[in-house]
Amino acid sequence: MRRHFKTIASVAVTVAVTVAALTACGPKEPASEGGTPEMRRLTEEQYRNTVGDLFGPTITFGGRFDPLARTDGLIQLGARTARVTPSGFEQYYTLARSIAAQVVDEEHRETLISCTPADPKTADDACARKFYAQVGRLLYRRPLTDDEIKTPTVAAHDVATSMQNFYNGLAYGLAGMMVGPKFLFVMENTEADPDRKGEVRLNADARASRLSFLLWNSMPDDMLLTAASKGELFTKEGVKRQVDRMVASPKLEGGVRAFFTDFLDLRKFETLEKDPVIYPSFNVKAGEDAKEQILRTIADHVVTRELDYRDLFITRHTFVTAALARIYRIPAGRPDGGWTAYEFAESGPRAGLVAQIGFLAVNSHPGRSSPTIRGRAVREVLLCQKVPDPLSNVDFSLFNDPNSPHRTARQRLTAHAVTPACAGCHKITDPIGLGLENFDGSGALRNMENGEAIDASGDVDGIAFKDAKGLEKALRDSPAVPTCLVNRLYAYALGRPIESGDKNAVAYFQEAFAKDDYRVPALLRRLTASDAFFKVRLPKSEAATQARATDGLSAKDTPS
Amino acid sequence: MPMRHVAIVLGIAGFWAGLTAPAVAHAPGTLGFVIRDWFTAIHESKFMDECPEGLNIGNDEFWWRSQPKDLRARITGNGLERASRRYWEVMGRGPNGEDICMNPTLIKDPPLRVAEGKIGYGDNLDGTTDGHATAKTCKHDKYTSPDGKTGIDNQMARLVGCTFGWRKSGMVELHANEERGTAGHGMILVEVTGVTDPRNSDDVTVTFYRSIDQYTIDGTGQPLPFSTYRIETYNGKPRYADSLKGKIKDGVLTTDRGDVKLPFYGNNAFMHPVIKDMALRLEIAADGNTATGMLTGYYDVERFMYAMGSVGQVLQTAQVSCPAMYVAAHQLADGYPDPKTGECTMLSSAFKIKAYAAFVQHPQKERRQASR
Repeated sequence: MRRHFKTIASVAVTVAVTVAALTACGPKEPASEGGTPEMRRLTEEQYRNTVGDLFGPTITFGGRFDPLARTDGLIQLGARTARVTPSGFEQYYTLARSIAAQVVDEEHRETLISCTPADPKTADDACARKFYAQVGRLLYRRPLTDDEIKTPTVAAHDVATSMQNFYNGLAYGLAGMMVGPKFLFVMENTEADPDRKGEVRLNADARASRLSFLLWNSMPDDMLLTAASKGELFTKEGVKRQVDRMVASPKLEGGVRAFFTDFLDLRKFETLEKDPVIYPSFNVKAGEDAKEQILRTIADHVVTRELDYRDLFITRHTFVTAALARIYRIPAGRPDGGWTAYEFAESGPRAGLVAQIGFLAVNSHPGRSSPTIRGRAVREVLLCQKVPDPLSNVDFSLFNDPNSPHRTARQRLTAHAVTPACAGCHKITDPIGLGLENFDGSGALRNMENGEAIDASGDVDGIAFKDAKGLEKALRDSPAVPTCLVNRLYAYALGRPIESGDKNAVAYFQEAFAKDDYRVPALLRRLTASDAFFKVRLPKSEAATQARATDGLSAKDTPS
Repeated sequence: MPMRHVAIVLGIAGFWAGLTAPAVAHAPGTLGFVIRDWFTAIHESKFMDECPEGLNIGNDEFWWRSQPKDLRARITGNGLERASRRYWEVMGRGPNGEDICMNPTLIKDPPLRVAEGKIGYGDNLDGTTDGHATAKTCKHDKYTSPDGKTGIDNQMARLVGCTFGWRKSGMVELHANEERGTAGHGMILVEVTGVTDPRNSDDVTVTFYRSIDQYTIDGTGQPLPFSTYRIETYNGKPRYADSLKGKIKDGVLTTDRGDVKLPFYGNNAFMHPVIKDMALRLEIAADGNTATGMLTGYYDVERFMYAMGSVGQVLQTAQVSCPAMYVAAHQLADGYPDPKTGECTMLSSAFKIKAYAAFVQHPQKERRQASR
């Protein structure tokens, strides 16, 4: 533990020094137009992190939420258009009741409720108000208005009176707050910008939320909200102080993991299934570990060791469990299933993220590999390129025929791609995916397919390679790889797609990322220190109205 | 404990690349194996020609015949109680109620029906063509293997070949194999070192260990290849670590003969039989996932009978008379005569084995990896 903190502290210091230097002498940030403020639903992980941060790890709850659509390459962006369905509301309500009941139970009430009722058999409005004001500030990520405190207090009073139990009433009011939109949706409220007449800016609390959900994937903590209330998040120095603190926190890894989970579309693991007859070693545990291996590798590479992001595609350093070791065909450091560090042999066939079981398996069919799916994943996820969807009337008989004369995937795809309508897309995906054909649908190494030697050569954007390591090297050297990361992180951080007005800002961050030797923490620093990070504008039609309405008025909160 | 078909789990090293098998990343020069199934190699003909008088009757039936009708009715609940419920009565057929499987000389049952015939599995252990007595062996009959190899010695197959519990569908070894899978005790690890090529290596060393880890199984209950197993240690050293020299040719591992102490567990009984003049032959599958073969050598009669007495209720299904088998075992013993009596003390044996690829983890490796 001490070592862990030491590492984090070391990273934080390094980041601080690096960024201080870079912000002084790096590329200059261009002016940004900003985007419209957004309202988005909490992701499941953000919900869980918030409850965990607020009430502690001993509050347990299960359940699943309505899925969020992946839009413009990120679930974070799909959350902008998310609704709460009736069944989804039922789920929220069940969760909220369960959480609230635990918060007020005898095990937790002493530590989680800061006041004691005069009589636990009846209502105590003063204690309830105090509790809702404290908890509500963190739940809603801003101070509550009197009315917002009054509503749960009245509800708690009624229930406590009828049930003759103060804590039942308190739980009822808390559950009500937790199913409301003010908790379930992150609302980016704005206010008139005192420095730019007719324009708006994110208010202090919205700034706190942007920072905390980017760096921690959770709610702002008390210190961040306090800084917001003092207006410190309107100054570069104030933001920097908070970012310094947040980057030094162990929760930074959670934030980085959340971004890469979204960026790499790791949600696909939730529905990952493999045919147990074909791949007996790929069980549920292997699937879970494969996802975790990707995230551990990334967290270790970009956060703990703060290495060049591009080297993720050639690194031989990773972590394995017994379940993964069986598929990799390497000895497990811990047969009991725990994680151990592992270095793939330099002369071996594997290196980098793309050759990990997780990427290979999740981008395959249940019973066989798929150069097309793998190639598409590389294009769309890692290079931010769009591959058209396949036609609806594709003839898959060549792939499904067990007596096909085509033994290897390359042969089958070659035969299939003679159809002009199919050939176009396969030219985009297959030369990449075929480079991973030495790995079967479970990610295990193979040299033959149906008795025929596998040819894993291919090319990516004109760079030819002979095998998976060649492909990874090509990706490592591709300028599109860091560019894609910057684009996605920019959109993720701002919670909206990149717009035409962001062009200069994105170019600036791409240039800065290169100057920072492709260190992700440095990029996070640049981003949070930038004007673009907090810059918002009203939609053009509303802006004109707003300008007229607020002309001559002082700065005041205006709901977006 | 004799067995009909032995399964080993093998752990295979990192030189499969370029073969038809999947490539394996591992410390070079090492193959690992662990035994999963272990069955006495009995040649069972279609019409049971090897047992012309039929199968043996067992302890339960001897007990049944020996009891008056009213006592049988009382103990069996007028026939409503299962045979397993009268296990202790059946076993306690000694003059003073002693367990006759733990004390097989206390009473005499009719002679055991032993397997006859000319066809059997195994190796020529005594070097003779006709089984005549030598300084190291007693006179015995020879088998010819189904593929024509002559001079085969396998007195263990004669001993148990007409007893249901050791034949196909018999529970003695089947249950032991399954129990190892669930309990994780007594699994035999086989490590092959000095391997220069996994399909052809002229000089290798084969060492036998005991695992302390359970099998990791797939959806069908079979071990997953290439799992990692830690070896058992005692005072910092492997508890079992006997070695044989050997070679691999065209994917077939064969060893020289030597005395090997093996770990074993099954039917709730731990054992560590020393198999004399033991040799192992394993055919490693092209994909490297499994290996099958045969283990041959001399098995101690007293150790075998002691283990059988420890088996417990599985014997109730085996249709075996311990006193009859004890007598027959000594009569059939063909190896290692007692210097004083001249009576042979060991049975020539052959066991069929199935194995799965695995990694054998030594304690020092474990510590090193854990510290990374």
